[in-house]
Amino acid sequence: MVYNYIFIGLLLLVATAFAAGPLVLVALLAPKRKSKNKNEFYECGVITVGESWVRFRMQYYLYAILFVLFDIETVFLYPWAVSYGGLGFFALVEMVIFIVMLLIGLAYAWARGALRWQ
Amino acid sequence: MAHFDLLTKNDFTPILAQRMFYEQVDTVLWIRWGLYLFAGFFAVFPLIVAYIVLAERKIAARFQDRIGPNRVGPFGLLQPFADFIKLIIKESIVPKGANSFVHILAPILTLISAFLVLAVIPFGIGLAPVDLPSGLLYMVSVSSIAALSIFLAGWSSRNKYSLLGAMRGVAQLVSYEIPQVMSILPVILWSGSLSLVSIVQTQQYDQGWFLFSPPGILGFLLLLISSIAEVNRAPFDLPEAESEIIAGFHTEYSGMRFGLFFLGEYLNVFAICCLSTTLFLGGGSLPLQGYFADEADHMLVAPFDASKQSVLKLNAHHEFPENPSTGFRINITNIVGETQAFQVSHRVGNDLVLMANRPVEFKADAYSRVSAAARPSYAAPWHLSNLIMIPVFLGKVFFLVFVIFWIRATLPRVRVDRLMSFAWKTMVPLAIANIFVATIWFEMVIRPVGGFSARLLAWLVTGLLTAGAVALVFRINRNSYQANDPERRPTLISRSGDSLLAATTRGL
Amino acid sequence: MIQALFIALSAFGLLMALGTVFARNLVNAALFLVAFFFVVACQFVLLEAEFMAAIQVLIYIGAVAVLLMFGIMLTRNIQGDETTIVSRQWRLLGIGVAGSVLIVLFLGINGFKPWTDLGIRPEFPVTAETTTERGQAIIAMTPTVGREMMTRYVVPFELAGLLLTAALVGAVVLAQYDNTDEKTASAEPPQVS
Repeated sequence: MVYNYIFIGLLLLVATAFAAGPLVLVALLAPKRKSKNKNEFYECGVITVGESWVRFRMQYYLYAILFVLFDIETVFLYPWAVSYGGLGFFALVEMVIFIVMLLIGLAYAWARGALRWQ
Repeated sequence: MAHFDLLTKNDFTPILAQRMFYEQVDTVLWIRWGLYLFAGFFAVFPLIVAYIVLAERKIAARFQDRIGPNRVGPFGLLQPFADFIKLIIKESIVPKGANSFVHILAPILTLISAFLVLAVIPFGIGLAPVDLPSGLLYMVSVSSIAALSIFLAGWSSRNKYSLLGAMRGVAQLVSYEIPQVMSILPVILWSGSLSLVSIVQTQQYDQGWFLFSPPGILGFLLLLISSIAEVNRAPFDLPEAESEIIAGFHTEYSGMRFGLFFLGEYLNVFAICCLSTTLFLGGGSLPLQGYFADEADHMLVAPFDASKQSVLKLNAHHEFPENPSTGFRINITNIVGETQAFQVSHRVGNDLVLMANRPVEFKADAYSRVSAAARPSYAAPWHLSNLIMIPVFLGKVFFLVFVIFWIRATLPRVRVDRLMSFAWKTMVPLAIANIFVATIWFEMVIRPVGGFSARLLAWLVTGLLTAGAVALVFRINRNSYQANDPERRPTLISRSGDSLLAATTRGL
Repeated sequence: MIQALFIALSAFGLLMALGTVFARNLVNAALFLVAFFFVVACQFVLLEAEFMAAIQVLIYIGAVAVLLMFGIMLTRNIQGDETTIVSRQWRLLGIGVAGSVLIVLFLGINGFKPWTDLGIRPEFPVTAETTTERGQAIIAMTPTVGREMMTRYVVPFELAGLLLTAALVGAVVLAQYDNTDEKTASAEPPQVS
């Protein structure tokens, strides 16, 4: 039950320690010879020009929004799937209506070319 | 203020029980957890993963007609230790101006996500580290943290190409997360529970592997493909491709930080193979075990009307488990001969309390027969059963890992626009169609506790539907595969787009 | 023991929330917010609502935080060099409003009664009689949520679906509009894909 989450909390802490452990070892054992060129950004040997931000395209944002919406749809689908055994045909009809609505949205996005990566 | 008065009355909603929460964590449980943590998670799993890395190098080498590393120790078996020592003594270089805390945080998040996924998986009877009632939802939500960690890795390096690789990586992860979580839905539908232990028990004693049904096959393939994309493995490894965009989001990572990313990636591969095995291959059970399960019979002591009650009073309880895993399944047969499957929530003395998702139109008189499908695990001592189940489970997992290596050695990398359109235009519609086909399978085979003929008919019907759905989806996407792709357009077609016949017969 | 855990978790959560507000760098602020979302998920676990905790992590950390990061990339203010400088009177007004909201929440959650009866929780014994609907709701939350969603709360559920579709259509329309706008915009740093 819920007390199992104590184990998960412990696992989180120990996993962080486990991941940080080798880094501590590195800080102790590895050489630290600082030089100016080592800390430059890597660009196949060419010196960086311009700031390092990227003018990104609307495509990324559209994919993120689509993901949020379909994620929420999945959140509705999970309880339905678990409780489907105890419900009758009407549950299926309701879920079909819900999914068809979202599929219409997906079809609209598809037809408008929002899913294309240019 | 009437609303607030209601809250203070005792018979309204029982909120929490301090007794239920921490009094159940006794010494035995602490010892068990300690063993899992320090002998399992942080000793056995890193070793398994280290040898998976070595296995990949040797298997990929064999696919390329050469031998892998074989210098360090016999057959190269000490190679992981050599790699570890090498990574530790390398200098840790951080690009100037990079946010050092976030730079370290990113691989740690990936590792944490992989470890947390492995916490719920049943490796044998009684060998799931924790058995959460909503284990599958927990697993899905934990594996969604990986997207954030890739973005942080790319952003903290302050390198244009890292950032680009990171954004592409996040877009890919985010696109393939939806088919991954949707392809699991048939499993949840059929087993009626989110607990992984219950899913394995359903496959082991009740319904056979979920793979052995057309929607199961499609769901397994969808899960495998989208999980491979989720862990950035070939052929979906565009974010970390070595020949493009330098090395993607982990360009600026060197030494042990890169080692942590590497470890996290292979741990993730191991975790998704364990997940696929548990969900579709009945982790630990033999292929036909579910069809030949024994049943123990008991009698109802009082009449039972499922729409009004949720407690079954039985005449004996010694064959049912003391603390059943969430949702373990029983069948009730009433005098008319109808059989209905129910799920048990917990057991109190001689009474079984059923779960809230029970079918409500069912009445059984007193002296009706109750049979437990999940009995045999408690008849044989669990440690003897585990001697078979653990090797079988590991065998299945390693076979899937080998399949993933095989795919990497064989297929070329997918181009980024094909990647995205494959996720959104092919896999999401297929996953949604799969849910409906799975519902049909459920109605034909599982709800009426069907036998061989029902199963055969359901195979035919759902097989046709699945094949039809796949064909339909590929046909819808047909235009995007050929006509829009200038590299694939055959050179005999002229620029104005004549057909091949017209082009060859022009001038005749 | 739960009380101590709750207090520690809440203190940590408040620190994360303060970090979100006071951080200079936008991405650091977003990271503090992610930690705060995680603390909220832990609070759900303490309340024995693990379904809600899993959904909190899945939606907020998995989806909304990613969306937030992408939104931050839209702006050029990543390194936080241009923090907004708020003048004195607006700052006072902000503190006043926040303080009054705090007082209203504080009193309202307690039912406008003084601060008593903390740490006393009603017992919830697990017997055959606790198979009321509410009892089942705690032991097995997900099937209960599913059943209620399909029977009693169907209309809000379908309305939620409609809302999601509307959001999707709206997002597509807005993005397309911006896309065509950008194509005719003047020279930006080269559009890397």
